[in-house]
Formats: sequence, structure tokens, C-alpha cells
Amino acid sequence: MKRQFSCAATAAPFLLGVMILVGVVGCGGSNSSAAKTTVVSNTATLTASSGPNGLAGGIVNGLYVTVTVCQHGTTTCITINNVQVDTGSVGLRLVQGTLGSVTLTPINVNNSPLEECRQYGDTSYSWGPLEFADVQIGGETASNIPVQLLGQVSAPAPSNCLTMPVNSNLPGTPPGNEDTVASLGSNGLLGIGGLIFDCGNDCTTVSFTSGYPYYICPNGTCQAVGVATADQAVNPVSQFTGSDNNGVMITLPSVPSSGAVSVSGTMNFGIATRSDNVLGNATIYALDPCQFFPTVTFSGISYTDTFCNGTGSGLGGFLDTGSNAFYISDANTLKSSGIAGISDCASSTSGSGFYCVTGGMTTLSPVNFVGFGGVGSANISLNINDATTLFSTNNAVFNDLGSDSVFPNGNSSTDFWDLGLPFFLGRTVFVGIAGTAMPAGVNAPNGFVAF
Amino acid sequence: MSRKANPDLTFAAGLQGGILSHYAKTILSALLVLVLVSVPAWAGLGQPEASVTSDQLHMKSEHRVQDFQAYKVHELANTEGAVVREFVSPEGTVFGITWHGRSTPDMNQLLGNYVNNFETATRDQTHIVPRRGITIKTNDFVYTNFCRMGVCTGSAYAPKLLPSNVTVEVMR
Repeated sequence: MKRQFSCAATAAPFLLGVMILVGVVGCGGSNSSAAKTTVVSNTATLTASSGPNGLAGGIVNGLYVTVTVCQHGTTTCITINNVQVDTGSVGLRLVQGTLGSVTLTPINVNNSPLEECRQYGDTSYSWGPLEFADVQIGGETASNIPVQLLGQVSAPAPSNCLTMPVNSNLPGTPPGNEDTVASLGSNGLLGIGGLIFDCGNDCTTVSFTSGYPYYICPNGTCQAVGVATADQAVNPVSQFTGSDNNGVMITLPSVPSSGAVSVSGTMNFGIATRSDNVLGNATIYALDPCQFFPTVTFSGISYTDTFCNGTGSGLGGFLDTGSNAFYISDANTLKSSGIAGISDCASSTSGSGFYCVTGGMTTLSPVNFVGFGGVGSANISLNINDATTLFSTNNAVFNDLGSDSVFPNGNSSTDFWDLGLPFFLGRTVFVGIAGTAMPAGVNAPNGFVAF
Repeated sequence: MSRKANPDLTFAAGLQGGILSHYAKTILSALLVLVLVSVPAWAGLGQPEASVTSDQLHMKSEHRVQDFQAYKVHELANTEGAVVREFVSPEGTVFGITWHGRSTPDMNQLLGNYVNNFETATRDQTHIVPRRGITIKTNDFVYTNFCRMGVCTGSAYAPKLLPSNVTVEVMR
């Protein structure tokens, strides 16, 4: 645990501009034994809302933070709000125009700019170069880390990356390329999932082809390249100077069952590194090597991660601020589990794609979550409300919005329990990063969550 | 600043043992099939059973067949951790496909002619979970896919090709 910075540490000029200075004592000459306390704020303000595009943009349950990006080693910086906080991805990705006149340091491989392509599950994709920047969130700084600039590209996204045709109903022009605020629904993505790198050793050489992320495009023709981990998209929290780099603590207020327009919360950096990020009486759940709870059980049915051991496509359960609802089980299975009023909303209604509930809100309890190796087990309770009713309000933040995990025709062997943003409302949730210094007594080699 | 490599990014490690010799044999037998059978240009959903060979070559995968009473399952698994299962009716037509792996496999290959249904689905026929998943449901074609943190799973099937005594729940 380190709360004080020495004078040597504070001498870096780019850090001075961002630290919240508390009782700074001059560094010159004195042999005084007085404490020289320069304490960095480890807290950032969060906002849950419909984001920069408003309800008209079609997004509910978005979670946003403000990030400051600087040219490395300088005070040439820009502060960018409405960056989506995503515990289901890794890396900071910003829409290019949000940087204004601030230029960053290109990363070149074989004399060509390094580009990254990521196609998401809905067929949309991130495509653009990685460049080095200093990144500040709250009072914390990650110095000279790769940041992806969405939209600043020299060639079309490679076909090896886009393994699915891009759906024409996605927002954006052309649809699918998330290179504008309108198409992304935010000014950028802050991926702070439980890993350090977004690809890691699998991309230091081109070890796979389908969906491979890293390319150079000399003369407009892209080719896959292996990339050292130091040049890969990286979880900014894991790179914070100091010791608040082993995870985050997210605290959001509860909302009424009919929702709220927006709410404010906090994200504290570090877990058990200071007095304001202690685990307290939270239950720690170790995650499996694929970042899932291996088993979730509801009403006598177990939803198991069979993907990770190569025996199937079940995913167990996970927590994810980047999922805008509870994507859990499926309507037919829940019905046969005694949740009589639940169904998929009719496609003609505003709730289409989400659960509708006859007679209003229903409660699923107990839902049992078990951590990897049995580390952590608890019964929780989830509320699901009628989505058409929720969407008849002008609210954008709901703690009871749900949908099928596999839609339609899910079954319990492929269904999973994705506890999206609704789960974080009214809770304090910790997300620990695998491969960083675990808090004392935590046995979780693949990372953990706690709540 | 430490940037430790993460040792836990190996997916579906159980699929990766002893691949090379199998792989060589698979290629040989695949080539033999190519000589003996006319493989259709399109592969995947809605295509004849023999088209699985084309998918196998495309994925550079091992190939295992399971026989059930009302259908057959061709399982393709490659060294990249991608697994594709193709479900074949007694008439010899691929009526459904499931997949899981670190990314979604090449849908231009696996959806056959149904890639047109994928591309022309209307807004009402499409449900998007922002960046995580997509479901397309039309009378002729049902598709769902979900990805998170380097893990993807999904399925596609043609309801009208489903054998009469088979339910979609068999596709896992």
C-alpha cells in the first residue's frame, strides 16, 4: 500500500498538472521530517444515462466517465466526457474527433502505423490505429499507453477481422463502423475488464487468423502482424502509476422500479490499496480462465461454463457494465422454472427484444452464483419488470430490465446469466484484474469480482 | 511499470492436443472426398452434407461425426479453438449450425445462401444488444450470436429445413 509519493515521483512534469495536491511540502533542501504528502485522488465520477445521443439514440443503461488524454510527457491535453465504462472489454478506444487538436504518438510496425480491428458480437466493429498517450482518470495517470483512435484509418477493415457480414440495421454511416459518437453511442470506450491486455500472448505472433485484431496496411493493403504486449490495447487501470492498479470499485445508487433519467456514482481505483477501496464484507468470487462464473443455478437448473473446458458453448455467468440489461436464461426456461408471467415482448412493441412481464415486476430468487474453485458463493435476488412499461417512461436507467441470454429458442445448456448494468445499481461491485497484485488473502489467479 | 503477460488466454485448451497427425490425415481424407464427390461451391446452412468438407478445409479443422436417430452432427474443431457443429437431416441437408470460439467463425462460408437473409433482415427482424450480440429472426432463417472478452457463441438454423421430429433444442 502506497499513499505517498516521493519528491522524485512528483518531479515528472506531466504528473504535476493532474494530481490533487494535499498539503504539499516543498522538496528543496530541508531535512525536515514532516510528511511530504502528495495524494492522488483515486475517485472518478460516473453517470448512468442514455449517453450523449439521448434517448433518441436508443441507448438505455449506459455508464459513462470523463477521461483526460495528453500527448505523452506534455501538458497538451484534452478532457473527454461521456466515455462508456465497460467491464466486458479491455482498452481505451476514442472516437477520433473527440481529441480536437491534440495529436498522439503513432506506433509503427515495419514503418507502418499499427491498426486494430475488433468485430463485436452484434457485427459492429472498432477499426483504427493505436497510438501512445498519457491517460488520466480521476487523479490517476497511466503514462504512455496505447489508445485506439476510432475512425482514423487508411484502408477498409480487413476481411479476416470481419467474420460476420455487418448488419445494415446498426447505427452509423456506413452502418457498423463505430467511428462516430452517433454510431458508438459515446465518445469512446473505457474497457476495464479483468485482464491487462486485450489479446496478450496470442497476438505477439499471428497465432490465429479468424478474428485476428492487429494489422498494418502499407499502400492500403492490410496484413496481420504480431505485436509486443507493450504495443497492444491495454486496460488503463492496470497501468496506473502507483499502486491503485489492481482493479476498480464501482458504486452506483439504487433507482425506483420504474427507473430514473440518470444517476451519479463513483469509481474508485485500486482494491484494498487505500482506506476508500477496502473489500469490507463483500463476498469475493474467483473467475475461471475465461472470465466467467463457472456455475449459476436457478430453480434447480445449473448454467455452466462448458466453453472454457472445451466441452460445449455454455458460458455460466458474468458481471458486465457494458451490457445494458440482465441477459439471463430464456423466457421458456424461466417460465418452466416458475416465473409464470415472463415472456419475450412482442416485436411490434417498444419492449421488443426484452422481457415483458404480465402483472408487473417479478422476482427471481434465489439465484446461486459460485466462483472458480468454489471461491465465493452466494444467493442473490433479481427483479425483472415489463420492458414496454419501462420504456413508456422518459427514463433511461433501469435496475429491472431483462432479456433472454440466447434469443430465441435458448435452452439451459447454452443460456447464461449476464448481469449487466442493472445489477450494479444500488451496489458496490469490485472488479479485480488478473495478473496484478491481488489483495491480501484473495485466491483468484484469473481475476475476481466482489460484491 | 510492469506489463505482465496474461497466462490465461488459452481457450478451449482441451481441443488442442495431438492435432498435427490428425490434421495430416484429415487433409488426406478430405482430398480423397474431393476427388470422389463433387463438392458444391456453397457450403454450410441449407447445403448438402458433402459441403461440410468444404467448411472443414476452410477452417483447417478436425472432423468428427455423431449419428443420432433423427439427425447427424458433423463437428469441426481447429487448433485456433474454434468449434462448429453442423446438423444434418436424414435427407442429407444441413439444417442448423452452432459455433463457439475466440471469435465468430467465417459466416460468409457457413451461412451458405442464407447469408442473403442475414444481410437483408429488416429492423423489425433484428434485435441488437449493443456490441455484445445480435439475433435475426425471419420465417426462413434464425441467427443468434454473442461475444464478450474474446469468447463468442452462436447458432443459425433454417426452420423450414428442420426434420419434423427434431426440435431446435438439440442444437447445442
